[in-house]
Amino acid sequence: MKCDSIWARTLRWLSGPSQAVVRNSRDRLDEELQFHIEQSIEANIAAGMTEKDASRQARIEFGGFEAARETTYRQRPGWLIETFLQDARYALRSFHRNPIFAATVIITLALGIGATTAVFSVVDPILFRPLPYAHAERLVSVGLVQSLERQEFTLGGFYYEWQAHQKPFDSFTFERGVDECNLTEANPIHLLCASVAQNFLPTLGVSPVVGRNFLPGEDLPNGPKAVLLSDSFWLSRYNRDPAVLNKTIVIDDQPRQIAGVLPAGFEMPRLQKADILLPAAMDVAAQHTVNAGIGYPMWAFARLKPQISIAQAKAEMDPLFRHTQEWIPPQFRQEFHLQIRSIRDRQMQAVYRPAWVLLAASLTMLLIASANVAGLLSARGAGRKQELAVRSALGASTLRIVCQTLTEAVLLALAGAVFGFALAAILLRIFVAIAPAGVPFLTKARLDFRIIFFTIAIALLCAAVFGGLAALQKPHAEALVARPTQGPATARLRRVLVVMQIGISLVLVSGASLLLKSFRNLEQQKLGMSTDGVLSVQVSLNWSRYQSGRAYKDFYLRAESALRSLPGVTEVAISNSLPPDENTWHDEIRYDSFYVAGQPRPTPGAGGKVVTRSVTPGFFRILRIPILEGRSFNEEDRNAVGSLLILSQSLAGRLFLRESAIGRHIQFASYRPYFVLDGPIYTVVGVAGNVKNAGLAGQDSPEYYTLQSNTGAWSGHSLFLLDTTLPAAAIAASVQSKIAQIDPMTPVEIEALTETVDKLADQPRFESALLGFFALTGLIMAIIGLYGVTSFLVTQRTREIGVRMALGASRSNILRLVAWEGALLIGSGTALGLAMALAVTQVLRNLLFGIGPRDPGTFIFVPSLLVLVTLMAMIIPARAATRIDPVAALRCE
Amino acid sequence: MSPSISSTQPRSTQSGDLLQGTLDLLILKTLALEPMHGWGVAQRIQQVSKDALQIGQGSLYPALHRLEYRGWIKAEWASSENNRRAKFYSLTAAGRRQLKAQVKNWGRIAAAIARVLEGEAPA
Repeated sequence: MKCDSIWARTLRWLSGPSQAVVRNSRDRLDEELQFHIEQSIEANIAAGMTEKDASRQARIEFGGFEAARETTYRQRPGWLIETFLQDARYALRSFHRNPIFAATVIITLALGIGATTAVFSVVDPILFRPLPYAHAERLVSVGLVQSLERQEFTLGGFYYEWQAHQKPFDSFTFERGVDECNLTEANPIHLLCASVAQNFLPTLGVSPVVGRNFLPGEDLPNGPKAVLLSDSFWLSRYNRDPAVLNKTIVIDDQPRQIAGVLPAGFEMPRLQKADILLPAAMDVAAQHTVNAGIGYPMWAFARLKPQISIAQAKAEMDPLFRHTQEWIPPQFRQEFHLQIRSIRDRQMQAVYRPAWVLLAASLTMLLIASANVAGLLSARGAGRKQELAVRSALGASTLRIVCQTLTEAVLLALAGAVFGFALAAILLRIFVAIAPAGVPFLTKARLDFRIIFFTIAIALLCAAVFGGLAALQKPHAEALVARPTQGPATARLRRVLVVMQIGISLVLVSGASLLLKSFRNLEQQKLGMSTDGVLSVQVSLNWSRYQSGRAYKDFYLRAESALRSLPGVTEVAISNSLPPDENTWHDEIRYDSFYVAGQPRPTPGAGGKVVTRSVTPGFFRILRIPILEGRSFNEEDRNAVGSLLILSQSLAGRLFLRESAIGRHIQFASYRPYFVLDGPIYTVVGVAGNVKNAGLAGQDSPEYYTLQSNTGAWSGHSLFLLDTTLPAAAIAASVQSKIAQIDPMTPVEIEALTETVDKLADQPRFESALLGFFALTGLIMAIIGLYGVTSFLVTQRTREIGVRMALGASRSNILRLVAWEGALLIGSGTALGLAMALAVTQVLRNLLFGIGPRDPGTFIFVPSLLVLVTLMAMIIPARAATRIDPVAALRCE
Repeated sequence: MSPSISSTQPRSTQSGDLLQGTLDLLILKTLALEPMHGWGVAQRIQQVSKDALQIGQGSLYPALHRLEYRGWIKAEWASSENNRRAKFYSLTAAGRRQLKAQVKNWGRIAAAIARVLEGEAPA
């Protein structure tokens, strides 16, 4: 064989004194030992023995010839590899004889290794990605949370108080968010500028690659103006020229000196995109006067002192927080809480749970794969008892037999790993392709070699343990003569495996089917409006060219009539936000600021939030939101003086119970810092149907609409809704040209509302696709495993069935017997699985929509399916066994 | 020649580390005099030690082959004294160096053991 000669050459090369290896072949060795015995005989004859005695004596003296020969032969360098190759050839021959067994094991391993590796590769950058900061594990985000804002933030007044008196942190810093800014010099462009504290970069442990951090003086309100550039901006604008240092750059008409450049991997802790870092240059004293005395909003980050945990830091910060809490008006005070958590938690909170669920699902899958392989190998081991007994009788040591079995297991595991790796590569591509835009760092997902090695190690381990187990049991002499029967220990082991396998499969398949059902619910979500044929047109007006609310109003009204004149457009409306409000801005106020004339003041702090939208009359017609009571806004209202309201059905019901809302007067209270009623008095003219306004899966809030009237103030935040008979692509160009006629510098985004809504389902679709994949593979694996192991249990009893039938048992007797024993296994497996699944699916609660974690349908359907599969796996081979002629069953196996 | 226990027991192939090292040393020392075949080595050791050391074949040949693979001794097929083809082993240069080192080492260990035994005797 060619491969042999290569090996032999490699071995010779490895073993150094090659002539010795060649010279000591087995024949030569025999000759050498033979010579020794002959010398011995001659010596004995010379000592006076007869030839026969001399020969006998020499052999006695020599001892075990074979043993000496083997031991000597083993001194040969490369003997181990030689043995391994021999075992490998043997294993390959046995796979060739039993290809279904080999294929089943390899496919199972490939699925397990492939799925686990692909999922881990997706999840790894989310859960375990290294953050681009020095000692990121000690960085925390510190701030206030309340019911409307779960992502901690802080306010200038609080921040400076905390910073002055805090003890648990080495340093304490903040950023003031990222704002749009403009490069106002030759070739002007639109940029994103982040305002940060002077100690922002040092706290994160980031140093500029070129130049320096801001100087303390540059962080003062009237200090020298400096900027830091991001790597991408440095590249796109200056082609990474180091000479930009200390040059001047004009941002929003303000000349600034370039102090340095950030490293390429730099990220803001809240992951906002930023081209430029500016010093926040806060007026510290003013933070106690501006914004009702609590200062401007900001986001604080800190580096923990060594040996201080997050919990300790929180305990130490609590008295400070309590002190500053006094500045919050008493009616809200209880709503604010201090929150300190790691930056990683803050960045990843939304995807943490799905990521863990996926990881758990894939590990479960690996567990099932391992159980399958274990079951298959142990069944095969039991089936080969006779072969092993023969080999043992022919002189193979237990160690040798175990080595041979392990070689087989290793070969299977390696083949599984190769296919698994290929599968993982394909799966990862699919995952990335179907993933929604919102999954952070998914594009950075790469196949992870650590996890490949980990899964291969698991596969090898279970192959070795279960493959070796059968071989380790010293083959009994009777195995040579008796028909193969199974030892009680291995039989029990396989029964336990079947029970475990039913249990684990049940958990995986029911978890996955819950998520699939939940996704279906989400897809069939009633929006409360119709998106068919509706286009949204968003324009980003450059505020520097629109100095007043009047300028904005002029633009929108002119654009509205221009759009109306387009062929194919039947209706145009303007709104400041758009349902179903997922990941988009909308205005909201607190329920307790509703003051209804003739009703007592609402309880402060109660009632949560209410969504509000400012719309023109066409809004309800275009989205086909029904007016249930009263009337809609009309065109005349737009020019009239007076404040009108339309309430959503849920808000009307809450404010007025069963009374009619029409004609009632509502005022909005503000707390500055005490309850005042000084706004306009609104009159309710209508009640509209409820519309989704907290994303597809969110709990809807009550809502009210105000009229975007021509007499009121306008902001630059509005968008247009078009009702059209044409598809978005056909009308986009004419919409764009109409807008360009009014403001040529304004970018326009046009999207069909149906698509917008569809995109919202991307994330759950991604999760469901992944879990659906797991459910399917898990089910296939469960079927393979259960069928393989249970059918083997029955096949082993072919002879027993033969005896029973020979003694007069009917086929139905036999089937009943097999089914009864199967039912015991299935029963215990299902009970175990249900208990685990009911506990595990609790974790899914937050991921589920419109379905409970204990959905009865799921928990009836999934176990039934698995029970059916397992029963089939037992009955089919049992039926086959009953058809065999009892004599044949008894005689041959 | 009376059959010795050690030479008839194949078990003696499993010699401990010290024994194995000692056997290597004995073989190297024996071969330092002249090239010899395996039977000759065994006989020589037995004679010189006045029958105190009998080398079982089960240990002798593995040891000879091991030393050959290590390059300390080399082998040649040649005619024996009674005109049979036999494998003659002889010491290589590396083997000589090894012998020197091992003799020195043996001396150190023997002296150390002797000291331990002497120290224990009075007690």
